[in-house]
Amino acid sequence: MRTIKRSLIIIMLFSLLAACGPTATTVPTQEQAAPTQEQATPTVEVVPTAEPTMAPVTIQVFYPVAVDAPIAAILNGYIEDFQAEFPYITVEPVYSGGYADVQTAITTTIEGGGTPPALAVLLATGLYDLINADYIAPMDEYVANMEGGQAYLDDFLPAFMANSYYDGKLWSIPFQRSAVVLYYNADKFEAAGLQPPSSWQSWAEAAQALTVKEGNNTNWGLHFSSDWPYWLFQPLAIGNGQNIFIDDCTVAFNDPKVVEAVQYYIDLSKVYGAMPEGVQASWATDAADFSSGATAMIAHTTGSLTSILAQSNFTVGVMAYPGKEEGTYASVPGGGNFYILQGAPQEQKDAAWKFIEFLTSPDLAADYSIQTGYIASRMSAYDTEAMTAYVAKVPQALQARDAMQYAEGELAIQNLGQVRTIFHNYIQKAFNGEMTALEAMDAAQTEAAAALVPFCQ
Amino acid sequence: MSVFTPQGKKRRNNILPYLLALPTLLFVAVFTAWPVLLSIYKSFFLQRMNIAKFRVPTFIGIDNYTNIFTDPNFLKVISNTLYYVLGTVPISILLGFLFALLVNRKLAGRGIFRLAFFHPMIMPMVSAATLWLFFFTPGYGLLNSALRMFGYQGAENWTGNPNLALLSVIIVAVWKNSGYYMIFYLAGLQNLPGDVFEAAQLDGGNWWQILWRITFPLLKRTTVFISTVAFIDAFRTVDHIFVLTTGGPSQASTVLLFQLWQERFENQNVGLASAITVIFIVILLIFTISNFLISEKEEK
Amino acid sequence: MNGQFRDQNIFLRIGSWLVTGGTAFLAILWTIPIVWALVASFRPTTEPMKLGDVWFGSSLTLGNYIRAWSLAPFGQYYVNTIIIVLTILAVQLVTIILGGFAFAHYQFSGKKWLFFFILLQMMIPTTALLAPNFSTIRQLGLFDTRLAIALPYFGSAFGVFLMRQAFLDVPRDLVDAGTMDGCSWWQLIFHIYLPPSFPSLIAFGLSSVIWHWNEFLWPLVITNSDLSRPLTAGLVRFTQLGEIGAQWSLLSAATLIVIAPLLIMFLIFQRHFVQSFLHSGIK
Repeated sequence: MRTIKRSLIIIMLFSLLAACGPTATTVPTQEQAAPTQEQATPTVEVVPTAEPTMAPVTIQVFYPVAVDAPIAAILNGYIEDFQAEFPYITVEPVYSGGYADVQTAITTTIEGGGTPPALAVLLATGLYDLINADYIAPMDEYVANMEGGQAYLDDFLPAFMANSYYDGKLWSIPFQRSAVVLYYNADKFEAAGLQPPSSWQSWAEAAQALTVKEGNNTNWGLHFSSDWPYWLFQPLAIGNGQNIFIDDCTVAFNDPKVVEAVQYYIDLSKVYGAMPEGVQASWATDAADFSSGATAMIAHTTGSLTSILAQSNFTVGVMAYPGKEEGTYASVPGGGNFYILQGAPQEQKDAAWKFIEFLTSPDLAADYSIQTGYIASRMSAYDTEAMTAYVAKVPQALQARDAMQYAEGELAIQNLGQVRTIFHNYIQKAFNGEMTALEAMDAAQTEAAAALVPFCQ
Repeated sequence: MSVFTPQGKKRRNNILPYLLALPTLLFVAVFTAWPVLLSIYKSFFLQRMNIAKFRVPTFIGIDNYTNIFTDPNFLKVISNTLYYVLGTVPISILLGFLFALLVNRKLAGRGIFRLAFFHPMIMPMVSAATLWLFFFTPGYGLLNSALRMFGYQGAENWTGNPNLALLSVIIVAVWKNSGYYMIFYLAGLQNLPGDVFEAAQLDGGNWWQILWRITFPLLKRTTVFISTVAFIDAFRTVDHIFVLTTGGPSQASTVLLFQLWQERFENQNVGLASAITVIFIVILLIFTISNFLISEKEEK
Repeated sequence: MNGQFRDQNIFLRIGSWLVTGGTAFLAILWTIPIVWALVASFRPTTEPMKLGDVWFGSSLTLGNYIRAWSLAPFGQYYVNTIIIVLTILAVQLVTIILGGFAFAHYQFSGKKWLFFFILLQMMIPTTALLAPNFSTIRQLGLFDTRLAIALPYFGSAFGVFLMRQAFLDVPRDLVDAGTMDGCSWWQLIFHIYLPPSFPSLIAFGLSSVIWHWNEFLWPLVITNSDLSRPLTAGLVRFTQLGEIGAQWSLLSAATLIVIAPLLIMFLIFQRHFVQSFLHSGIK
């Protein structure tokens, strides 16, 4: 009882502190404001000496931490270099969770009546949502005012620019881009006397041949996760000659070629027994299973290249998915672009563009790719010294880039969230055998078309 | 209600009790009553924050409700919710009762046993879910490894299988909550009059009879209290779904509050989210009021 | 007679062993997740889990903890969580004591209705109202602050209910004596009502701390920066490190970083913890 009393006194102390009015509870907000001021102060001092004509400006950059490289540290390094070059600009990075978190953060900030950050890295496919919401500003003017602006744009890998234009305007610049590829254990292929697959047929047969059952355990020939299915699935459809959407208002979910691709996925387990049946919530474990040598092939993102290479003690091969016909291949890009936000003051937007230019310079694009495993978004990045040295050591980085020549656009459409959910629901039903491939895709097509109506009238 | 008649002194400044209750009343008004009214109002409007042309609310009558109730996916969500609630609540309560009986005995290391059952309760649901994430992993996940020792080969893919995803979520909730309910039952057991049991034992009742004829009825009030807590908790906890399944596959593990979050904060559909909030409130009130009525009846 | 008695004794003892064995089995079953996480968190990162190899690695390492700590600002999350939890607790203690006292000690018109109004909060949990509360917080201009996370919980129907219950159990003679002595209302609270109600207050405090330490969904939607985000919302970032694939050791380390303080506190204060629950009005 005495100890209870003592702890109560402590609690009462806290309550007294709070009872003294609202001061106790407003402390957090004050503390929050403090760091911003601290960061701003040095810039003010620097300005007069460095660039007398430019008024100091602070921009926020919302940034997703989606890859487990110490991204924050890398970016903070770039920011320091940038601020050294442009002393009147202060860059304040805000690291949130995934892409969805960043987008939600921006929406809620704007909804909350606040000023959005000047710059954000968001999914390339978010384009229409961001335009519909009136959040982003076009970038054409900046490029026009730039020396060699068109050459700058032409230097980006075309597949990465696929989601940057709408209505004749430029809305985003590729930054951290990845792609769907097929990783294969080259040692296992060699031991089995197999060539890397070059068609659906040879892919399925290789996966079948490399599936080994030992007692209750199976080492699968292929792992193909389907817990976030549209992305990994898209190259199957593309490899059959038909992407799953046509333009921002039209989906092609029930196109016979897409349905055939769904059936091929199902057959890989049902007919060939080369991968586990049904929806595989295995995105998170596939890379580890591949690195440990258990699984012979996985469909995954180039984003895991660095960690896979670090953990594998065999030769890792990276390639685009084989297409249906012999000698055809397919891939799909992913990842995030830079967007400049409409609601930020003009001088911040201008500063944001400077930061974009700085980060997409060939040298930094190369460095970022080497440090993180993302595909460098610019061709000229591959001509830099650092990159040449790197790909000599890690040829897979070049294989990943080369897969991009077979890439078509990632699903980007009006009302993306809902349309994507519809597609996921039905393709998972098909994978799980609750519906046939055709039934599922027909239903998905009907629902998606209905979901698009309010946006496409 | 054992409230004594106010004395003269209190009557003089009888504004005082209102002032004392005011802080609580104020916060309940602003964060419980007002949001209920706000939701009802907004549920009759079309408003989507992420689409410029739908950002200004337009009155659309009961369209949000008709859309909801004609959407087979939403009916699926309702049935998932009921499965989830009816799956977690009775099992956790029964296990809580069992644990309480087991650790209420004279037992070496009783504290350690209590700790074992109770510790999940003091960790966040998201942490509990991250611990279990590995159990459900296809292939080498602990649950599959354990099942395989018994020669079982199926059910490889817990969170990816539409028939098992909701079960996985339920398992985590049961694991986390049983120990919490155990504490309440322990409290109840220790407050039971000892002489009743002695008398029953002398009468030659076996433990099973004592349990069902005496212990359980005496703990009825405790059970009613726990079940109220448990029902509300089951409706409002979706944290583990974020970690384990994000509602999938094909919405097989999407429950009401998760759907509400998705509509409001992912799809930014304010009108629809308001309508779901209203439906959610109605369901909660049905559950809590009927629970209250049942307990009132028991008391009489 | 004697023999029969001994038989029964043996029977009872075997039964008792069996029950103890069953208890131990269940207890072990219940602790597997946390024990496994502990083991996994010390496993070298370079050795991913695989089939038949999900226990200790070739050596023990603190690397996962160091890495987890460097990947996310856990220090900031801790500060946030502690400030949020203590702010809520402090304000709640004031509001529930005053509220409980008002409803236990005084008779006033509309009392029953006001009490029912407060109980509304117990029937409609605040979490269910996250959408409208989000707009309220937004209008107050508090979005993405720690205060925003705490504010909706400043009034607690459960607390008022509990304190009223505890205050009603205080012997009336004591209260009358206090009134005779000319105690003011706040003296009545501190000298008469509160001392015998400590267990309820502590039980409430513990529940409040645990509940708000563990809360996830509301902080998730009402914050968007690490400056205000609590531990739970920070932890979920680790499960979303999607592109790398699962690193169980890292994830386990991050999880343990989050739950360690409460677990250790619980280990130390376990007896008080359980006792205060047992002696409080919660039953």
